[in-house]
Amino acid sequence: MVAITKTRTAPTLIVRGQQKLSKLTRTIIKYRWLYFLMLPGLIYFILFRYLPLWNAQIAFKDFKPLLGVWGSPFAGFKHFLTFFNSYYFSQLITNTLFFSLMKLVLGLPVAVILALSLYESMFRFLRKLVQTISYMPHFLSWVIMFGILLAMLSPGEGLINEIIKAAGGKSISFLTSPAWFRVVIIGSDIWKETGWGTIIYLASLMSIDPTLFEAAAVDGASRLQRIWHISLPGILSTIVVVTLLRLGNVLDAGFQQLFVLYSLPVYSVGDILDTWVYRQGILEFQFSLATAVGLFKGVIGLTLVVFANRLAKRLARTGLY
Amino acid sequence: MKKIMSKIALLVVVLSILLSACARPTDEPIPPTKVPEVAPTDVPTKAPDAAPTDEATKAPETPPTDVPPTPAPTEIIPTDIELWAGGRVSEAGPPPDDWAAYQIIKDELKINLELVLLPSTQADQDTKINAAAAGNSLPDLFMVNRDTWFKLVEAGLVANVEELLPLMPVRTQTHYSDADRNKLVVYNGAMYGLPDPGAMPMTDSLVIRKDWLVKLGLESPKTLDDFLAVAKAFTFDDPDGNGTDDTYGFCAFIDGSGLIAAGVGPRFDFIYGAYGVAGTWNLTSKDAFGLNARDPNYMLATQFIKTLNDEKVIDPDWPTLKKDEFRARWKQGKCGMMHENFAALANKSNYKDFDANFPDGEWAVMDAPTGPDGKSAAGIVVKTARIYAVSQKAMDEGKGPAIARLLEWMANDEGYFLLGFGVEGVNYVLDANGYISTEGLEDAAKWTSKEAQPLTQLANMVYIFSDIELKARYVAYQTTNGRTMDPLAYYSAFGEQPFTESTGAAVINPPANAADFIRFYSENIVQFVLGQKPLDETTWAEFIAGLDSLGAKELEADALETLLATGFVK
Repeated sequence: MVAITKTRTAPTLIVRGQQKLSKLTRTIIKYRWLYFLMLPGLIYFILFRYLPLWNAQIAFKDFKPLLGVWGSPFAGFKHFLTFFNSYYFSQLITNTLFFSLMKLVLGLPVAVILALSLYESMFRFLRKLVQTISYMPHFLSWVIMFGILLAMLSPGEGLINEIIKAAGGKSISFLTSPAWFRVVIIGSDIWKETGWGTIIYLASLMSIDPTLFEAAAVDGASRLQRIWHISLPGILSTIVVVTLLRLGNVLDAGFQQLFVLYSLPVYSVGDILDTWVYRQGILEFQFSLATAVGLFKGVIGLTLVVFANRLAKRLARTGLY
Repeated sequence: MKKIMSKIALLVVVLSILLSACARPTDEPIPPTKVPEVAPTDVPTKAPDAAPTDEATKAPETPPTDVPPTPAPTEIIPTDIELWAGGRVSEAGPPPDDWAAYQIIKDELKINLELVLLPSTQADQDTKINAAAAGNSLPDLFMVNRDTWFKLVEAGLVANVEELLPLMPVRTQTHYSDADRNKLVVYNGAMYGLPDPGAMPMTDSLVIRKDWLVKLGLESPKTLDDFLAVAKAFTFDDPDGNGTDDTYGFCAFIDGSGLIAAGVGPRFDFIYGAYGVAGTWNLTSKDAFGLNARDPNYMLATQFIKTLNDEKVIDPDWPTLKKDEFRARWKQGKCGMMHENFAALANKSNYKDFDANFPDGEWAVMDAPTGPDGKSAAGIVVKTARIYAVSQKAMDEGKGPAIARLLEWMANDEGYFLLGFGVEGVNYVLDANGYISTEGLEDAAKWTSKEAQPLTQLANMVYIFSDIELKARYVAYQTTNGRTMDPLAYYSAFGEQPFTESTGAAVINPPANAADFIRFYSENIVQFVLGQKPLDETTWAEFIAGLDSLGAKELEADALETLLATGFVK
């Protein structure tokens, strides 16, 4: 009886496996061109995102180029401790979180409001014009932006200070005053990136069924009510996804911007993790330390994404995965 | 059929993208694809007979007799050499593929030279070199700053080059015979780098708008008090007479990086010099050695800079300005006094904008002002080197002799003139006295022209500051109003100023926490000057205590050991 069972079960499993395999194969063959299109992206991620993870082990080693990644001596958590015990650790973390969160908290609503305004605009030409103008700063490098900001904010002859002086006020050292520097950083980032940030929200708004707006209009809903009850809920999932993705990079506060704009008088409020890693890790040839900080940032980012995703699912019933 | 064709087309496009993305740059060096229009034989093979005989800066001629003879030639094996060099002109591109030197180097030296010009800023250079070092893929021969060089040597990535010196007797004589400079590349008693002559010493000093002095009836300042008084007049008494409050007594910016230029940087060194504490380090003796910041006079000098800032006689943008923006300021006629490089000030290409804007404007050399005790210094003197290092990998691959061959050729007549000035008869000519001239040549072909700049990008590998070079590089000319402008006259006048010798500071190795240490040092000084922190004896003591908590005493102890070993401090 047992033997009979065995002989009857084995072929059944094989057949089921074959069926399963053939189903998978059939699906792949059916969508082969889509898979083919996915291939370059997949290869990119394998080559440049997953394979380099092997090198992350140097965070736990005293990396010696001659010995290679594997051959370098094990150092445990030495480089993490060096980072945590560094003189400016708490200041670096504070500055990084401040810039990152403020850019997120202040930048996101501005982008959403601009996207809604553009979407609701009845004047097509004006909409296109505003879109183009708001996108433009995104394509300027931070080096160019520094020149523009200096021309506007210089205490000597900057446009803003000329206006302040003409109004009887005293010129302000926007770029060297710790009190003002943070405002300049957040403000210039919003100015540069808001237009570009609206693209995803505009696309999301475009995907809302227009009959909802028509029905609401027939029911007598005002423009603000339509925005509040249709547009915003319609793009809520996009806002959540964008926020979650940004949280994953919460310890990336904008290296290029800070690196170009900061100077000695504002290091106390402008030095962030990445600028410190550049000075101490890259320029001082301490790659293990730089990797340890990178790994630390990644772990924090991943943790935040996981928690925020759960929270978003619970509160907004939508999430990243 | 149409569907199949479109799928094939899509496949081809995707494969092309993949192949392009995965392609590796070819390992082949850049071979010259074309024989130069002027045959190599036209290149002068001998230095001019009447070359000036400036002892300190002798042009490369026939090797001196005391130089050991070049070893007997053996069979030359063709070798690929990758060279990362600093270009002479940062904004110009690399030499073209049909550059005459490529062909000569290939034919005569059997070297396929692959040349990469390094970025112009030191930080970018360090980033590029460190990234290559991390991957153990340093080029065969590369220029590197001293701090980075030290770390690469410690990591075992840079080779001992002493065995190469006998293979290049001429270059050793012309480039590597300065004992002080050689100390910059000594590690554990052996040479791990080739210290080419770096920037000329005493090139930067104070200059003042003479026409403004005349207009306001003032004398050039002699003391720091005079300096402040003149700076106030230049700021508030409308020295340019345009009726607008748009001038500053003093213009500066935070220049340089690293511990050697920490604080507010070398543009302010003349103020520290007036208090006898120019530079980061006191190198006068073993007993006095230490950070100058420990000297109370350093605080007094910082207080004087704060006074300049408080009195608003200094360009208010100085803490954020970059070098180019600083230079734009004086060319726009905003500055009355400044600490500037003689060539950046007086070379025709640099001066022409100022000359066009202010034909009657004139910059005069100003004596370094004296401080309360009568001391003065226009700045510090650091005998710098452009260090070229040979990677250990290149040495292990047996490329050392080829590298020596290449460098020796550069130091001989053919390489020297070709890399330094281009092709004779095309880019330069020699006048009756044996000096480099461009008379009678097409403007675009002159070695000094913008178009010809790529041809002399490796000039800094051959220049030794000979009289020939100085006269060729810094040519006198007439300004718009007919004055003679001679850059070398400024250089000569700068050289007569007092400077504080600080070459030893270049051999002080950075501490492990260099980024934090330098930030703390510089940030505090700037905060004191800007009034972001009160500046008095208590806060200064806190500043010094902060430095100590970051390891200043250990740094000083290590530095003293190095300085005693190298003989810079006795």
